[in-house]
Amino acid sequence: MTKKQTIIFLCIVVPVIALLIVGVVLTDGLYMGGETLDETMQNAVLHENDKISILGLEVNPALVSAYLVTVLLLLFAAIVRIFVIPRFRLIPGKFQLLLEQAVGMFDGMSRSYSPHRNGFLGAYIFAAGAYIFFGTLFELAGVPVVTASGGSVALPAPLSDINGAIMMGCLSYLVILSGGILSNGFRGVGRTLKEFSLPISMSFRLFGALLSGMLVTELVYSYLMLSIVLPVFVGVMFTLLHAVVQTYVLTMLTALFYGEVCEPPVRKEKRYKRKKHQIQTEV
Amino acid sequence: MAWNLAALPLNIDPQQILLHLLNFVILFAGLWLLLYKPVRNFMKKRKEYYEQMEESAKEKEREAEEKRSAYEQKLAEADHEIEEKRAAVRQELENYELKRKQAAEEQAAAVLSEAHKRAAEDREYTVRAARKEISALVADATEKLALNKSTSEMYDQFLDKAERGDDAGGKA
Repeated sequence: MTKKQTIIFLCIVVPVIALLIVGVVLTDGLYMGGETLDETMQNAVLHENDKISILGLEVNPALVSAYLVTVLLLLFAAIVRIFVIPRFRLIPGKFQLLLEQAVGMFDGMSRSYSPHRNGFLGAYIFAAGAYIFFGTLFELAGVPVVTASGGSVALPAPLSDINGAIMMGCLSYLVILSGGILSNGFRGVGRTLKEFSLPISMSFRLFGALLSGMLVTELVYSYLMLSIVLPVFVGVMFTLLHAVVQTYVLTMLTALFYGEVCEPPVRKEKRYKRKKHQIQTEV
Repeated sequence: MAWNLAALPLNIDPQQILLHLLNFVILFAGLWLLLYKPVRNFMKKRKEYYEQMEESAKEKEREAEEKRSAYEQKLAEADHEIEEKRAAVRQELENYELKRKQAAEEQAAAVLSEAHKRAAEDREYTVRAARKEISALVADATEKLALNKSTSEMYDQFLDKAERGDDAGGKA
């Protein structure tokens, strides 16, 4: 073995041995969490230990997130309304194009899924889409707040709270129901009630999907060896994916069912008329 | 709180649901008024503007087409009129030529007639002159016939003299 080969061998083997030693040490039960994994997961779902006190009310941190997201979105909307929209041009710039795409996408979705009645639906799914998307992304900011018990918690996504998800699912169902009543009266009510499982499925789909991202990130964080670098990718990836997917799923489902219950009834051809028509055709 | 939280699983809290609902209603109203409606109105107005522009372009195209067809019709009418006028002029020209020809023929006939007349007059004059000359010749001949005896005598004398002259010359 030449001198050069010896140097190369040492350069490879020594770091490999060092990494293996580090790995052995890290996997030797060096769990750094303050609470057990079960407690962490349960707390992420139920928020029993991280309530936040606002105006005398103890609420889940997701509610604070919801109001913060609303404030931020309304602030953004107000700035856009005052400074950007009056300067809209016929040939749009990049930002104008982005806004038009966002509005046009939900408007187009409402028109395509519910061609008979879509004025309110477009506005609703636009607001719901914006709320879900930006609410989910809000989780990435990791805004810390002090809990009622004096601890600290990073604000989660508003819809990772079961109450927020139930509100969204039930409200969507009520919107669908209102569309059915306005379009078809009692027939619309019947059509909507036929899908009685919709509010539950919508609520828990949202809740489960958004919570799962948080749980996976918590799970990854809960181990020291996985808590370096990896959570950044996992957290961002899950959050972004859920933001896009859940926004699309809820708005699409709402528009789809809304369109279904708003369809004007198709009058069935009476039997004798059909028979008469058949006879005439045969003749 | 009126609701028994222990009775609802998963930490479901109706009060918080209502708070979430309140939050979303505020967000919905704000976004609808501040963002969705103005942007959609702008897009609608732009669409109407371009539709109007397209409609206007179509209208102008239709007007241009109508004008073009009107011009073509006018051109066709003008061509037809020109053709008619050309035919009329051609007819007039032919009539004029015919008249000219007739006039020329009449003139030629008149000239010919005049020539014939003059020729007849010349012939008559010549005949008359010839007659006069013949008459003069006849008169002259008659006169010569009347004087014919003395002439023969003179001729005889001449002949005699001529014979004598020949004898004297032969002798010499």
